[in-house]
Amino acid sequence: MTMLARHAEDLFWAGRYVERAQDTARLLDVTYNEQIEAGPVFARKTWFDLLQVLSLEATFAASGRRLDAEGLTSFLVADRENPGSIVIAIERARENARGLRELLSTELWEAINNAYLSLQARDVARDLDEHPAQLYAFVKTACQTILGAAAETMNRDDGWRFLMLGVQVERAEMTCRLIEVHSRRVPADAHPTMADWSRLLESAAATEAYVRTYAASPDPAHVLGFLLLSRTFPRSVFYSLRAAEQILQNIDPESGMSEARRILGRMRAGLEFRAIDELLDDDLPAHLEALQTDVLDVATAVAHRYFRMAEGDLHLTAVRGEPAEGVRLPGGVLSS
Amino acid sequence: VTSSETHTAGTSGSFVLARDLFADYDVGSFFDEAAAPDGKPRSHYRTYLDAIGEFSLDELRRRARMRDATFRSRGITFTVYGDDAGLEKTLLMDLIPRIIPADEWAAVEAGLAQRVRALNLFLEDLYDGQREAVRDGIVPEWLVVSSDGFSREAFGIPAPGGVRCLVAGIDLVRGADGGFYVLEDNLRNPSGISYVVENRAVMNRLFPRITGLHRIRPVDHYGASLLRALRSVAPPTASDPTVVVLTPGVFNSAYFEHAFLAREMGAELVEGRDLVVDDHTVFMRTTTGLRRVDVIYRRLDDHFLDPVGFKSESMIGVPGLLAAARAGRVTIANAVGNGVADDKGVYPFVPELIRYYLGEEALLPNVATYLPWEPDHLEIVLERLDQLVVKPVAGSGGYGLVIGPSATDEELDTIRRQILEDPRAFIAQEVVQLSRVPTQIGDGVAGRHVDLRPFVLARSDGIEVIPGGLTRVALREGSLVVNSSQGGGSKDTWVLYDSGEMG
Repeated sequence: MTMLARHAEDLFWAGRYVERAQDTARLLDVTYNEQIEAGPVFARKTWFDLLQVLSLEATFAASGRRLDAEGLTSFLVADRENPGSIVIAIERARENARGLRELLSTELWEAINNAYLSLQARDVARDLDEHPAQLYAFVKTACQTILGAAAETMNRDDGWRFLMLGVQVERAEMTCRLIEVHSRRVPADAHPTMADWSRLLESAAATEAYVRTYAASPDPAHVLGFLLLSRTFPRSVFYSLRAAEQILQNIDPESGMSEARRILGRMRAGLEFRAIDELLDDDLPAHLEALQTDVLDVATAVAHRYFRMAEGDLHLTAVRGEPAEGVRLPGGVLSS
Repeated sequence: VTSSETHTAGTSGSFVLARDLFADYDVGSFFDEAAAPDGKPRSHYRTYLDAIGEFSLDELRRRARMRDATFRSRGITFTVYGDDAGLEKTLLMDLIPRIIPADEWAAVEAGLAQRVRALNLFLEDLYDGQREAVRDGIVPEWLVVSSDGFSREAFGIPAPGGVRCLVAGIDLVRGADGGFYVLEDNLRNPSGISYVVENRAVMNRLFPRITGLHRIRPVDHYGASLLRALRSVAPPTASDPTVVVLTPGVFNSAYFEHAFLAREMGAELVEGRDLVVDDHTVFMRTTTGLRRVDVIYRRLDDHFLDPVGFKSESMIGVPGLLAAARAGRVTIANAVGNGVADDKGVYPFVPELIRYYLGEEALLPNVATYLPWEPDHLEIVLERLDQLVVKPVAGSGGYGLVIGPSATDEELDTIRRQILEDPRAFIAQEVVQLSRVPTQIGDGVAGRHVDLRPFVLARSDGIEVIPGGLTRVALREGSLVVNSSQGGGSKDTWVLYDSGEMG
């Protein structure tokens, strides 16, 4: 199986954008509730933590917005200068999909296009003011509709694989961030309430799965262990990494140990064969950050191997084409 | 609903039946395709009018909303240039189809095939032959070489099977006598076929019962037919040819169509930067390295194809592409240089070319045309400027058109001056009183002027005419300009099977 390198890259990024929109909505949902309960003094710190975890402090500072609920949510949801905002992510996913129309099923395209059109039609400022939870629910549903349409209608070829690779890579990274932002607010050695942990689980859509596995016990080790290491829960970091690894193997069964697979395998094994206590006793934030750095390396290795592979094959005797400047944004313009 | 209820309900909406919308229908002094001059339905419209007559106004309104939602969510759009740059618009499809009976279509089909055959022979003669038509004085040489579409770069590029124009869009109109006339030829990158296919798909969704009452010749095989034609012109060395669609990119106004065609054919949709030429062979960049390309269905203009071959500044082309084509390692379709044959200054000579190459009389007549560079024509043109339509020879999309009867004195003065300055740049034609078809306007139905762009596919071994084509309709009352860029809409166009044919 083979496909245009540009298409593979655009699909990979379409997957990342959709998952990013969904996970940003999840992060905001949980943070919004937390800062309400934290009270005004801690609210600022909660928001600042979120910015740091998303590596968006500088972009936010440049936006001139206030570090409060209104400033931060509108920045992360609707800011046109913020490449990670939900509106921009959906817009980019749709722009990529528009360039991939012939590769996507009509139903998948319609799901993406409808997410975009519905978001455009919403009064986002008012949503954020009056009922942010509804907006986040809308974004989550729209993204799940997209991924559902993909799962139900897309041929299981490399196009599907690159799309899902993007989803899994982004999800692994964002779940790390979700845990990180939460563990900053609720250090593992504090005495957390059930509410603290249930909120984290809820934001990862993990409440029911967790309760069925561990019963309703607010044990930080269990909660963190579940989100990091669960073999069965599809949003755990381990699960996403293993899925990404499997996808790469299906794309390229002959390749043996490519750079991207090597990094993924090492990350996956690092989680697979480690007890949760080790992760917690150690410096958890450092672990989470290391995981995010590795995800970045995976994305770079994937780009190098699949999106720019042809460069190495050229031994040109004729003139050759350079990509046109300014014709189109490359897929991967986001800082991760 | 009884008829008395219908009438007493008046304009309240819900009980008004579509049949009442047609009650006040004014045929006017034009050729109406649905109704005879006495207002009675023509036979091929009877089934349709009976069926649509049962719909209430509310039901029609609901269909209109469904139509709008469908077009928007499917992203069937074209992009507007100019003030609203980047804005995606849908081409409004009128709810009422245009219906063409089998016998009328058979005559049109034969005329189109004949015309495209002759135009291909002309192009091949010009670029890869002895230029016999020019030598024998059928078309003046100066006219050919002064055409913007004439391309020296096209010389020596082989066209397998002599197919230089693989996809042609021949614009037809029906005059006051009901006869079909050729208004212009589009032999470079005619667009609109995606609307033909999508209009039918949407129509089948909106009115399944009504379409089911008719035996309509299908159009959804276009992708397969196009692929077959493209593969037929592959370089002879390619045993299992790889076909790609080359687009300028997602910001092009016809991008939806490019993606549509690639999807329908199962071909890759590439941009210039996806292709690379190495040793006169064209490759696309894939996830597993370079893959050879044999046939390029390009949807960008000649000058953007290859910055080296055309010495242009363009960044969207493929350096070395023209040389590869000249080496016979790749086929570019439509071929380079076709613009010379759809130059409006060459158009008046097409009936002659048909006679010359095929020994046949043209089955589809041209519209009466005046050539301002001929002194006796110029005299007529200047004298009757306010009665004629003046067109730039190289234009398309209705840009630069001056319709004498509706032009202001200022516009007429300007065009008069332009004609005198550069007579070769214009032609003038008699105004055709375009035929009309019932069209939904507001909450009623009224006759509106239409034209027709049928699509003709040439293969190395034959010609296929897609039944019907894109009917464009001028939605403004009295307007004769149907171009989508000028406020026109479209209609699903039904060519019916002959009663004896199997559907």
